[in-house]
Amino acid sequence: MSPRARNGLILLFVAGLLILSLLVILPGSPAQKKTRLGLDLQGGVELVYQGKPTPQAKVDSSSISRAIEIMRNRVDALGVAEPEIQRSGDDQITVGLPNVTNVQRAEKQVGTPAQLLFYDWEENVLTSNGKTAASQLTAQDPEALRISQAAGDPSAGLSLHDAVTLAAKQPVRGGQDISRIGPQYWLFDGRKQLIAGPDETKKDLLSELSGQKAPPGSELVTVPQGTVVLQATYRKAGDKPKNLNLVKWYVLRDRVSLFGKDITDPKQGTDQNQAGSPPDVEFKFTDKGKTAFHDVTRAIAQRGQSLSLPGSQSANLQHFAVALDRELISVASIDYRNLADGIDGENGAIITGGFTIQSAQDLAKLLELGALPIGLKLISQSQVSATLGKQALDQGLVAGLAGLLLVMVFLVFFYRVLGLIACGALIVYGIYLFALVKLIPITLTLPGIAGLVLTIGVAADANIVIFERVKEEIRGGRSISAGIAQGYKKGLSAIIDANVVTLMTAFILFMLATSGVKGFAFTLGVGTIVSLFTAVLATQAALGTMSRSKLISSPAALGAGKRERRWHFDFMGASKWFFSMSGMILIIGALAIGGKGLNFGIDFTSGTRIQTALAQPATEQQVRDVLTADGYGDAKIQRVTGSALGANVVQISTKTLQPTKVESVRASLEKAFGATRSFSSQSVGPTFGQTVANSALIAIIASLLVISAYIALRFEWKFAVPVLIALMHDLLITAGVYSLLGREVTTATVAALLTILGYSLYDTIIVFDRIRENVPRMPRAAFSQIVNRSMSEVLTRSLATSFSTLMPVLALLLFGGQTLQDFAFALLVGVASGTYSSIFIASPVLDHWKGREPAYAQRRRRIERESPDGKVPAYPTPAAGADADVEPEPPKRRRLRRGPDRVTTPDQPEEISAEEFEELKRDIADDAAPAAPAAGAASRRGSTGGRKGGGGNGAPVAPETADPEPQKRTLTDPDVDPGEFVHAPDEAEGGGMAPEERPKPAAGKRPRTRRHGRPR
Amino acid sequence: MGMLAWVMMGLAIWHFTIFLPDRFWGGIVGAFLGALFGSIIFGFIVSGLGVPGQSETHLLTALEAIPGAVIGIALVYAEGVRRERAPAPA
Repeated sequence: MSPRARNGLILLFVAGLLILSLLVILPGSPAQKKTRLGLDLQGGVELVYQGKPTPQAKVDSSSISRAIEIMRNRVDALGVAEPEIQRSGDDQITVGLPNVTNVQRAEKQVGTPAQLLFYDWEENVLTSNGKTAASQLTAQDPEALRISQAAGDPSAGLSLHDAVTLAAKQPVRGGQDISRIGPQYWLFDGRKQLIAGPDETKKDLLSELSGQKAPPGSELVTVPQGTVVLQATYRKAGDKPKNLNLVKWYVLRDRVSLFGKDITDPKQGTDQNQAGSPPDVEFKFTDKGKTAFHDVTRAIAQRGQSLSLPGSQSANLQHFAVALDRELISVASIDYRNLADGIDGENGAIITGGFTIQSAQDLAKLLELGALPIGLKLISQSQVSATLGKQALDQGLVAGLAGLLLVMVFLVFFYRVLGLIACGALIVYGIYLFALVKLIPITLTLPGIAGLVLTIGVAADANIVIFERVKEEIRGGRSISAGIAQGYKKGLSAIIDANVVTLMTAFILFMLATSGVKGFAFTLGVGTIVSLFTAVLATQAALGTMSRSKLISSPAALGAGKRERRWHFDFMGASKWFFSMSGMILIIGALAIGGKGLNFGIDFTSGTRIQTALAQPATEQQVRDVLTADGYGDAKIQRVTGSALGANVVQISTKTLQPTKVESVRASLEKAFGATRSFSSQSVGPTFGQTVANSALIAIIASLLVISAYIALRFEWKFAVPVLIALMHDLLITAGVYSLLGREVTTATVAALLTILGYSLYDTIIVFDRIRENVPRMPRAAFSQIVNRSMSEVLTRSLATSFSTLMPVLALLLFGGQTLQDFAFALLVGVASGTYSSIFIASPVLDHWKGREPAYAQRRRRIERESPDGKVPAYPTPAAGADADVEPEPPKRRRLRRGPDRVTTPDQPEEISAEEFEELKRDIADDAAPAAPAAGAASRRGSTGGRKGGGGNGAPVAPETADPEPQKRTLTDPDVDPGEFVHAPDEAEGGGMAPEERPKPAAGKRPRTRRHGRPR
Repeated sequence: MGMLAWVMMGLAIWHFTIFLPDRFWGGIVGAFLGALFGSIIFGFIVSGLGVPGQSETHLLTALEAIPGAVIGIALVYAEGVRRERAPAPA
C-alpha cells in the first residue's frame, strides 16, 4: 500500500471514529450516552467498610462478594439510582450512593449486619454475681427471678458501665455458637459515662478521642469473647433514650441457639386476632432452623415445668430472646402448660416488640435480604452536597478548557501549521476521550478531571517531541515530506518509552489507590493511550497527506525557517553549581521536615472534616460555642473564604465522628444558624488512614522498581540508576516544599507524586534517548561532550514539553476547586523539579558514572593530552580532535531487505523529492572526490567503509582487527594510543552548537547542509 | 518522618561530593549510597535504634544525619583510594 493510500485510510478511520464519538456525545443523538458523574461532582454519600471475620465466616473473596451482593440488594430496595458498590483491596467495600444526603440513614440501611440471634434467655442472662439466671431460679434468687420475669424490659436492666464491667469479669469462651470473636473495648470517664467504644482494637478506640489519647481518669474496660452486652427492649419506639448511658443493658453468655440464616420468608404483619395490635415481624424456618427452634423451645418449656412449684397456680414462664445486632428486640415467653414439647417451628414464629409499621417493614426487608456473612466496620464516610458537587464540576470544566486553550495557543505560536494540526489532533483527542468516558463508562470524578486535563499536556508533549524532530530534519536539509517521515520515525521511540512509563505508573496507581484516585489513574491511562493514537498516528497521516500541499511547502510554515538556535552551554561543567543548588534546597527541605514535619490530611491521620455553608453569619467563636455544647469544644474551626457557596462557609476538623454524631453536629448548627445551604463531611478512621498510607508507600516503591526495570531494559542498567536518583530528588524536593509551606498532604498529593514519577521521566528519556543516539555517532568524544551535545540538541524540546504540561497544570491551579488545586500544586512543583533534575541531575550523574568506564576514561585522557590547556572542552573541537561524527550502522534487518547500505541511501526512498535527489547526488560526488585535506571528511566517510560504529547503548566497541585501514580503526577505537595513527582532525561545528556563518550559495545552487543524513 | 529527614539530608550532603575528585568506590553512585546508608544508620543509632515518628521529629533529627552522611562518603572514598593503590593482580 502506498503511503498516500495508507494516510488516506488512517484519516478515514479517524473521521469515522470522530463521527461515532460525536454520536455518543451530542445531545439528541440516538446513540447518546449519559456521563456518569462521581459523588464528588453530583453529591451523595460514600461509605467505606472493612470486613471483619465472624465465628461463622472468615473474610475472603467469597464472603466479600456475598456481602456486596446483599448490600446491593439493600441499596436497590432503597431505590437509590446508580449506586456503586465495589471491593477495594483485600477486605474493604466501598459504597457510593449518589444524591443521598443523610449519611446516618444510609449507613444504617446499607451497613447494618442484620445479624439476627436467638438466645435461651434464662440460660444465658447473667445476674450481678456473674451466674446465669436459670442456675439460680431453683433457689428462688430474687434478682434471678426479677431478671427472668422482666423479659428484657429496662426495669431489671443494668447501667451501661455496670453491664460492661460485669461482662468484663467473664471468662473467655469460644465455639461455633458465639456471635463475635475477639475482645471488645469500651472507655468510660470518671463519671462512668461512655466516651468511646465499643471497638475491636484499642487503636480504633483511641482514634475516637482528641489527640488519640485516653483522658486522665478514664477507665478502659475489655469484654472478652463469649459474653455479649445487649440493649434492653423498649416497648414503644419513642421510649428508648438517645444517650446510650441512659439506656438499660443486659449481659448474656454468647451461646446462640439459632442464627438469622436459619429463618425464611420474613414479612411485616399484625396479630389478626387482636384489633389494634401493634405491627410485628413474621417468618418461617429452614429445615435446620425448625429442628433447632424446636429443640431450644422444648428445653425452655421443660425447664419452666421443672421450676413450677407443685400446687402453685402461677406459671414460672421461661423465655426465648431475639436480638438484632446486639439489641434485644423481643423476649417471648414459652408457656409449658400449652407447649410442653416446645414449638415445632412448622408455622414459623413472630417477633413483637415496639415496632412501628415502618420499622417492622425495614426489619422484615433486612431479614429477607439476609444478614451480612461477615462483620463490617465503617472506616471512612464522606458526604458531598449536590451544590458543592456542581461547583466542583464547573470549576473542573473551566480548568480543562482553559488548559486546552493555553496549550493550543502555545502550539500554534511555536509550530505554526504543525501547531494547527496538533490543535486539531488535541480537539479530536478530547472528543474521543469524552466519548470513551461515556461509553465504558468511566465514572468522572474530580481527580479524574485532573487526569484528563493532564493528558492534554501529555498529548501535546508527543507532538512537540515529533515536531522538534521534524524541524530538525528539515533544517538539516531534508525535504518537507522526508523531514516529516523521518521526524515521526525518530521521535517515536522516545514517545513510546515515555508513554509506557506513564501507563505503568497509572496502572500501579489504579491497582493500589483509593476509589477517588483510581478515577485519576484510569483517565490518565486511557488518555495516554488515546493521545498516542491522535498525536502520533492521526497527525502523521494528516501531515503526510498535506506534505505536497502549498500550505506546508515552506519550512517557515512549519517553524523551521530560521536556523535552529542551539544552546551553547557547558552543562556538565556547570553541573557542580546546579548540584550545589539542589543540595541547598534539600538541606532546607530536610530541616523543614525535621522542624515542621509534613501536614498530613485526615486521609492519613483519621478524623472528621465538615464543610458547611451556614444560613446566617457566624463567628468562629459562635460556631465553637455550639460545638462545645455537643462535646466537641476542641474542634478546629476555620472560615473558608472565596467559596462559591457564599460568605458563611466554615470548615470544622475534629476527631473521627460516627454518622450519628455528624448528623447531631449538623442538627446543632442548623438549630443555631438556620438550615445549612450545603453540608459536606468526610470521616476517616485510623484503619483506612493506615491503609491509604501503606498503599501510597507500596505504590511509590513499585513505581520506582518498574520504572528502573523498564529503563534498564530499554537503555542499559547504568542509565536506570541516574533516573532513580533524579526521581528521588523530585520526590524529596516536593516533600520539602510541602513541609516548608505547611500544605496539607492528601491522597491527591500522593497520586500527583506518582504521576510526577512517570512524568519526570519524560524529559529524562528524551535526553537519554539522544545520548544513546549520539554515542555511536561520536566515537572519539568524551562522555561529557556527548552529554553536552545531546542536551544542547534537546533542551529546547525538553523546555517546550515541560511548558506545555505546566500550562494545563497552571489552569488547574487557577481555576480548579480545592481538590484540583491540591493536585495541581504537587504537579507544579514536581514537573518543575522533574525538568530540572532531568537536565541537571540525571545527565551529570550518568556522565560521571559512564565517564569512569575505561574506554571513556581513556578518551578523556587523550583529549586532555591533545588540548592546549589540558582540559576537555565542553564540546568537541578540532584542537581536541574529538568531533568525529559518523553515521551509525543501520540495523541488519534493513540491510538485508534493502541491500548494502550507503550513507546516501535515503531512509524513505519513496518520499524523496527531486531537490533532495539532487542533493544526494552532490553528496555522492563529494564522497567520491579525493579528500585532502579533508581528514574530517575521511572520518565522515568512515561509515561507508564498513566500519562498525559505536556499540549499541553507548558501549564503545573494540576495533576490528581485520580492518586494513588504520585511520578507520583509529576512529572506532578509543583505547588505541592516539600517537599510533595519523588522526583525522574532527570537524569544528562552531563548538558544535553555535550558529555558523556560512557563505551564501550561488544562485541556483543549494548549499550542502546535511552530512551523511544526519542533521547538524 | 525521621527517616525522611535523614534521607533528605543524606541526599543533600551527597550533592556536594561533586566538588571532590571522583575517587569514590563505585563513583558518584557509590558516594550516593554511602551518603544515604551513612545518614540512615547514624540517625538510627543516635535515635536509640529507632526511627522518630511524626510527633518526635525535630530540627536536630535532620542534623543528626550529617555526620552519618559524611562518614559514609568518607568510607566510600577511602575504599576507592585503597583500591586505586592496590597493586594490580599479576
